[in-house]
Amino acid sequence: MFLKILDRLEEIFISLLMAGATLLIFVAVLHRYGSTVPFLFPYLHEIDMTWAQELCIYMFVWMAKFGAAYGVRQGVHVGVDVLVNRLGANHRFKVIMFGLLAGAIFTGTIAMLGGSFVWDLSGTEARSTDLDAPKWIVYLAIPLGSGLMCFRFLQVAWTFWRTGAVPHSGHHIGGVADEVPGLHPQGIETVPHFPSQETRA
Amino acid sequence: MSLAAVSTKSIPPNKGGVMATLMILAPLVLLTICLLAKFDYIVVPSGGRGLIIAGLLLSLFATGMPISIALGLSVLTFMFTMTDVPIVTVSLKLFTGIEKFEIMSIPFFILAGTFLTHGGVAKRMIHFARTMIGHWYGGLGLAGVVSCALFAAISGSSVATVVAIGSILLPAMVEQGYPKRFGAGVIATSGALGILFPPSINLVLYAVATSGMRPIGPNGMPVNGASIGQLFIAGIVPGLCLATVLGVVTFYQAYKNDYPRMPKSTWAERGRAFLDSFWGLFLIVIVIGGIYAGLFTPTEAAATAAVYAFVVAVFVYRDIGFKDVPGILLNAASMSAMILYIVTNAVLFSFLMVSEQIPQGMAAWMTAQGLGVVGFMVLCNLILLAAGNVMDPSSMVLIFAPILFPVAVRLGVDPVHFGVMMAVNMEIGLCHPPVGLNLYVASGIAKMGISELTVAVLPWLLAMIGFLLVITFYPPLTLFLPHYLGM
Repeated sequence: MFLKILDRLEEIFISLLMAGATLLIFVAVLHRYGSTVPFLFPYLHEIDMTWAQELCIYMFVWMAKFGAAYGVRQGVHVGVDVLVNRLGANHRFKVIMFGLLAGAIFTGTIAMLGGSFVWDLSGTEARSTDLDAPKWIVYLAIPLGSGLMCFRFLQVAWTFWRTGAVPHSGHHIGGVADEVPGLHPQGIETVPHFPSQETRA
Repeated sequence: MSLAAVSTKSIPPNKGGVMATLMILAPLVLLTICLLAKFDYIVVPSGGRGLIIAGLLLSLFATGMPISIALGLSVLTFMFTMTDVPIVTVSLKLFTGIEKFEIMSIPFFILAGTFLTHGGVAKRMIHFARTMIGHWYGGLGLAGVVSCALFAAISGSSVATVVAIGSILLPAMVEQGYPKRFGAGVIATSGALGILFPPSINLVLYAVATSGMRPIGPNGMPVNGASIGQLFIAGIVPGLCLATVLGVVTFYQAYKNDYPRMPKSTWAERGRAFLDSFWGLFLIVIVIGGIYAGLFTPTEAAATAAVYAFVVAVFVYRDIGFKDVPGILLNAASMSAMILYIVTNAVLFSFLMVSEQIPQGMAAWMTAQGLGVVGFMVLCNLILLAAGNVMDPSSMVLIFAPILFPVAVRLGVDPVHFGVMMAVNMEIGLCHPPVGLNLYVASGIAKMGISELTVAVLPWLLAMIGFLLVITFYPPLTLFLPHYLGM
């Protein structure tokens, strides 16, 4: 139950960051060109958008860290699996498990390094340039995101231990790889507007 | 790679015991060497340090773990055991590595591409290409090359292109009487064209990976890296040339074997097809025009393109409804996060390269061997073609650009030219047997074996390699447009 809520929250969080950052930069561009229009100038001139760029960067850093954790759950992180795929199932299991645990160790280490870095930073008055936000809150993305990623690696490893299955979304690029025929039984959709035999030259 | 995993079922379960043990032991042995060196039980000669980095990286890659994790683990292990670089510096790099506004164009371009890969954009591109050149020999094949080029440019993903164009065009070609291998060969190779056409994520990654390095040129002066705008403009002419080369190969085979042609379309039909695909194609104009005219920075252009793609997909084409938008956002976010995560770790890696002075060492070695520019470029192409076999393009550019770029600059190669050359290498790597990504995707769509497909792509592949040589040794082809435009 708790895990389901965490999963959903993670998905909603990264989707919102993606949408938010896009709109933010788009609005900033509109604002910049809007300010050159004489009759809009008095209104838009009042609004300061210089912080947009920095906020966008921070939103994407947070999205990258939490999205990477989501990616572990979905199996989107690409690796070089030429050799692994040549192994028999029993030995492949060992090597993949080694990879998953190495992932957990790495992300766990980063979470701890990041945590101590943020801890030290929280004692200082360091603030970001444009937003004037405390730096340690901005950088909290690293320990939190890496920690979640570590948890996801362990979760995937545990499922792999029990069921022998790792998440695979194929090549997620552009989100169409799920539609690769051959992976799904429904096969190739024929497109009606294509001319058939009678148009052969 | 789940697509590759399909073929692994036939392997007996206990095969490869020795190899599996070696794959796990190799990184552990290297870790032990590092630890022994840290506590002064052994002394690693200075020449051995580079070998240890390479060994760690290769042995971790070999286990099939994510490339980003392998990069990060190698760097952390090496830094903590073999160098005196303080931990704080490494932590700081983790935070500041992707804090650049330029890098943020990547998620926006991915989002724009994702909006337009869903739905009927592919169908419209194919229809447009077919009405224009369908009546020539191998009409549908040529239409495949053109529609792949157009679609790859706006979707920014070669895999998405092969799937989207291939799953519509291949059945249509087979129905018209083309041999399946001809169709699969066209789609698998043309699908890679997107890397050269703007907006190309891999060219952004090259700009990001090499920016701020300011390596020393042949005259002793530091040289600036290539900007995203320069690379985008520089990619256009080579991209068009490569598309033409693939088209000529397609045409010649079709002519020789007398493959079917389509009836000639009227100009009214062409006009309608163009108007129909115009909205998708205009995205390229926004990005390139906007950046070149100085209206936007590349990141702003990318964000505008994403909003534009949303409007076109939802309101103009009506291919997707509002209910599909959250799924698309999530897809784009996870894809971007995956790439940004590699970028973070690649930044660490490039920091290690600089602090160990590995590119400088390589440059000195090259000059001492008397290899010169020609030798170096040939060597680069061989390395990149070999790596393209096992790696996806974005990881490749992030790993190899920081190593090879300073050497190239030292030998007097133009940064923009080198970037475009790397891009052509990546394109070939995508459809290069035994394990090019496009081959796997195309084999899934065409339901053909990899070995059969390897034979099928051969004519186009050879042409691409020939074109690579031209690009490598004739820089003006790449550089004349950006120079002409005064960039």
